[in-house]
Amino acid sequence: MKLEPHIRLAHGNGGRYMRELIDGLFAARLGEQGLDTTVDAAMVDVPQGVRMMMTTDGFTVDPLEFPGGNIGSLAIHGTVNDLAVGGAFPLYLTLNAFIEEGTETALLERIVDALAAAATEAGVKVVAGDTKVLARGECGGVYLATTGLGVVPASHKLGQQYVQPGDKLIVTGGVGDHGTAVLLAREEYGLRGDLKSDSASVLPITEMLMKRPGLRFMRDPTRGGLATVALDLARESELSINMEENAIPLSEPVQAVCELLGYDPLYLACEGRVVAVIAADEADDAVQELRLSGVAPDAAVIGTIGEKKGAVTLTTSLGGQRLIDELEDDPLPRIC
Amino acid sequence: MSRQGVDNHHPVRRVTVAGRVQGVGFRPFVYRLAHELKLTGWVFNASGVVEVAIQGPADQLDAFARDVIERAPPLARPELLRNEPGEGEDFQAFEIRASQAQAEPEIHVPPDQFMCDDCLVEVSDPAERRYRYPFINCTQCGPRYTIIRALPYDRPNTTLRDFPLCADCDAEYRNPLDRRFHAQPLACAVCGPSLRFVSGQTRIEGNEDSLAAAIEVIKGGGIVAARGVGGYHLICDAGNESAVSALRARKHRPDKPLAVMVAMAGADRLDGARELAELDQATAARLADPERPIVLVRMRPDAKLAPSIAPGLNEVGLMLPYSPIHHLLLGDLGRPIVATSGNLSGEPVLTDPAEVEARLSTVADAFLHHNRPIQRPADDPVWRKIAGRMRPIRLGRGNAPLEIELPVTLGEPLLAVGAFLKNTVTLAWKSRAIVSPHIGELDSLRTVEVFRQVSADLQDLYGVRAKSLACDAHPDFPNSRWARDAGLPLTRVFHHEAHASALAGEFGVLDRDMLVFAWDGVGYGRDKTLWGGETYFGRPGAWQRVASFRPFRLPGGDRVTRQPWRTALSLSWHAGFDWAGAPEVDPLLRTAWDKGMASPVSSAVGRLFDGAAALAGVALEASYEGQGPTWLEAMAAKGRDPGAPDLALVEDEQGLLRADWSELMAWMADPGVPVADRAAGFHAALARLIAAQIGELARRFEFKEVGLTGGVFQNNLLASQAASAIESAGRIALIPERLPVNDAGISYGQVIETACLASEPGESGPSGA
Ligand SMILES: [Fe+3]
Ligand SMILES: [Mg+2]
Ligand SMILES: [Zn+2]
Ligand SMILES: [Zn+2]
Repeated sequence: MKLEPHIRLAHGNGGRYMRELIDGLFAARLGEQGLDTTVDAAMVDVPQGVRMMMTTDGFTVDPLEFPGGNIGSLAIHGTVNDLAVGGAFPLYLTLNAFIEEGTETALLERIVDALAAAATEAGVKVVAGDTKVLARGECGGVYLATTGLGVVPASHKLGQQYVQPGDKLIVTGGVGDHGTAVLLAREEYGLRGDLKSDSASVLPITEMLMKRPGLRFMRDPTRGGLATVALDLARESELSINMEENAIPLSEPVQAVCELLGYDPLYLACEGRVVAVIAADEADDAVQELRLSGVAPDAAVIGTIGEKKGAVTLTTSLGGQRLIDELEDDPLPRIC
Repeated sequence: MSRQGVDNHHPVRRVTVAGRVQGVGFRPFVYRLAHELKLTGWVFNASGVVEVAIQGPADQLDAFARDVIERAPPLARPELLRNEPGEGEDFQAFEIRASQAQAEPEIHVPPDQFMCDDCLVEVSDPAERRYRYPFINCTQCGPRYTIIRALPYDRPNTTLRDFPLCADCDAEYRNPLDRRFHAQPLACAVCGPSLRFVSGQTRIEGNEDSLAAAIEVIKGGGIVAARGVGGYHLICDAGNESAVSALRARKHRPDKPLAVMVAMAGADRLDGARELAELDQATAARLADPERPIVLVRMRPDAKLAPSIAPGLNEVGLMLPYSPIHHLLLGDLGRPIVATSGNLSGEPVLTDPAEVEARLSTVADAFLHHNRPIQRPADDPVWRKIAGRMRPIRLGRGNAPLEIELPVTLGEPLLAVGAFLKNTVTLAWKSRAIVSPHIGELDSLRTVEVFRQVSADLQDLYGVRAKSLACDAHPDFPNSRWARDAGLPLTRVFHHEAHASALAGEFGVLDRDMLVFAWDGVGYGRDKTLWGGETYFGRPGAWQRVASFRPFRLPGGDRVTRQPWRTALSLSWHAGFDWAGAPEVDPLLRTAWDKGMASPVSSAVGRLFDGAAALAGVALEASYEGQGPTWLEAMAAKGRDPGAPDLALVEDEQGLLRADWSELMAWMADPGVPVADRAAGFHAALARLIAAQIGELARRFEFKEVGLTGGVFQNNLLASQAASAIESAGRIALIPERLPVNDAGISYGQVIETACLASEPGESGPSGA
């Protein structure tokens, strides 16, 4: 079945066009993942002796395609990673697609292809879905929403309440790749060398880390980047965090772009990294294992949890302690 | 009190002395004066004034009234409020009576004081028991603000509480005729603090041995972190280039000028200073003032100072020793020293021995500690002669907390938390405003902690609880966030309106309109762009922005301050001229600039100065804030304006006069004109612009006073030319002289603006914040 080159409003009206869109585009790609378009709700099997974890996420990204991925892969990675850093093993996903009238069918196909590939790689099944077509101008091309269901081992002991002074903060790869890649792609700066999004499933990383009894906390630094994860953790745990500027992994192209444009990579989004807190005596081992196994070659210990205070600081290469604060909006110069 | 004999029916006089008469040893002084003149009566502290009754021969009473002002202790600033016949009671003796119980005592927290002349004589006299004692002080001198833990200002409430007085000191403390009567930081070698020297594994205790060890290190070209009054100094031989450049390298401070401390010598104590710099009457007086500030003065070409003391500049910051430790160090060393704040750039000076050893371990070769704790930091104050007068550019040890009377009366106490750079806070209530010492740049944890401490301490020390707050309108300042989260009513004041209001408040011009040029680095403006070249008409609480500059982009945001070439490139792109000296830059920067990405819009003159300095090749990079403008000013001294293009004044859609810098900036990049002439021409063109704006605005508005404020007017050349232009236009030029013209004045301006907004509801306010 050959679809028309552009999505029309009729593709969302419940009739023949819609059936063609769902069967010909979505089901054709997601059937293997377990999508059954003949029922309105999916029945799933749940293992015994575990607890469930659910999450949901909406995805809007401009541009829809960027070096290293597109909104389809992002919709899987975002939800899978939210479950993974929560300590869960993701099993099932549902998918909502909001498509703007006039969207190129070929683009939509690429998006769903990437989505299917990402799901396969992460080992999750997309078991139910829905599509809506919106009139031209009512939406920015394609919006996706995914809801994920995962299982958590009964021994699960992760969260900010387990974080203690002296624990180490680690990050599993360079920061800011996704944010920088999308930014440059959006502004039609063109491709720059090997700068691409780090969008990926972090499951191999979290599985490795979760074997460690000293693991306290994990989160993925998406919007707001590493700085925002640290600020959230400091606020929730009421502990301070000090990071070492020199220890934070930063890819050469990200560093160059940030240097040139004046961006702070600490606030730029990642989509395939984990920020974890781990007991001090296990941190170096954990990082070594992540590095040597190849699942996170640039993982590093980047900081230490401090006594009660709630401040996040960055020890700069010159030895100063810069205060990391949340941003109200786009960063504005403060120097007078 | 019994009546005395007939021969003692002398007249009685009642004298009231106001002004700065508390916490400065004024009552003991009155006591001693009365004894000397053989007068009887009493003295006591009342609400903010000293009340005196004296009895004696009429000519002695007149002598008292004269001497009580003329011979007042150096720290006092007395004013004779009343001197009239009193009731005919006969007094047997002269006594100090207990302070009158007051519902609300008027509290004054004195700044830290220098070492007075009496103590200087004593410390140099081998016969004295405090000979060479590094912590000698008296009621007229010694630390205050940095040792006070709580009020009332009594010894147990100071950091000397752990040093019980020995019998000799105690006797002095209790003797009203002694100049150490109730001197709270009183100490001697038997009972007081002492020095300690640390270098690597070497530990030396004891004043003389520690001092000698520190001097050995300095003589050998090493760097000593020495604890003083408000914090640590990093000290090295100011004449030893390898020592000075080592200090620069280790402190990562390649260019920022270093302060030099020079021993007192000669009749007016300034012979040593004169070997290094050219002093005039005003700078000499300031240098020798008991405040003992750093004064920026013209360096002598033959000064025996290391060349890297002040790269790119023809000025040097000099100060005289102000504590006995410094006197002893300089006296034994026999040469000037670099005495720069012991801190990391932009942070408050460090005060704690353990923290200093940890954080300056890679900078200092040795540490000269003492065990008199420093309760809160105070950096050295800095003054410069700008437009013919001495003006402060930093408040600190010796002059802060600075009290300024408010030209308005506040309904309830207000704490204003100031700006982001050069932060100070101001606590204000009734008609009093107290401005804190310099705190620092608020991007480091330590600065924010000191900001919080000073905000809390000022309220504790003055016994005043703020009922409302004022902050800058910029949303990302840590102090503004702190204010937002404090749970008190908050007024957000726009940066340049605070600058204008600080100026109007200092000169008490609230009842009539004036024109104010608020030129600085950048500040958050009402249209959410970064202002800094604004002209206001009006008065506090009702400022109207009437002129500005053609806006330009700052590619890279905050990075422009360290890389003036960015602003220069941006200006060349806006104006479409070719800058031959432009550095090679990734074309991505231009793409981002075209799209307005990471390139906020500004109208700041400080940034135009940066751009001009880069275009002229004077400073493409800057290792400290303001380096470009400072170097450009220094360069201008070597040239003359060959006729720089004027900035065109164009009215925009909103009726705002916009100064177009494009022709001037293209000229700044012209290699055909000598660099020094370009630098001079740039200053002259900006001064002419001020004259042109005044001419144009005089047709629309009525005003007599013209204010110049904002960090740009730390530039003496520009400020002098602008002030002459204003005066030759028949108007009065006002430039702050009690508060710094830079962002240190913002907290006071926030108070004025907030107070005037509150008293004039319905006027244009900062509601858009
Ligand atoms: Fe300012
Ligand atoms: Mg999420
Ligand atoms: Zn003294
Ligand atoms: Zn003693």
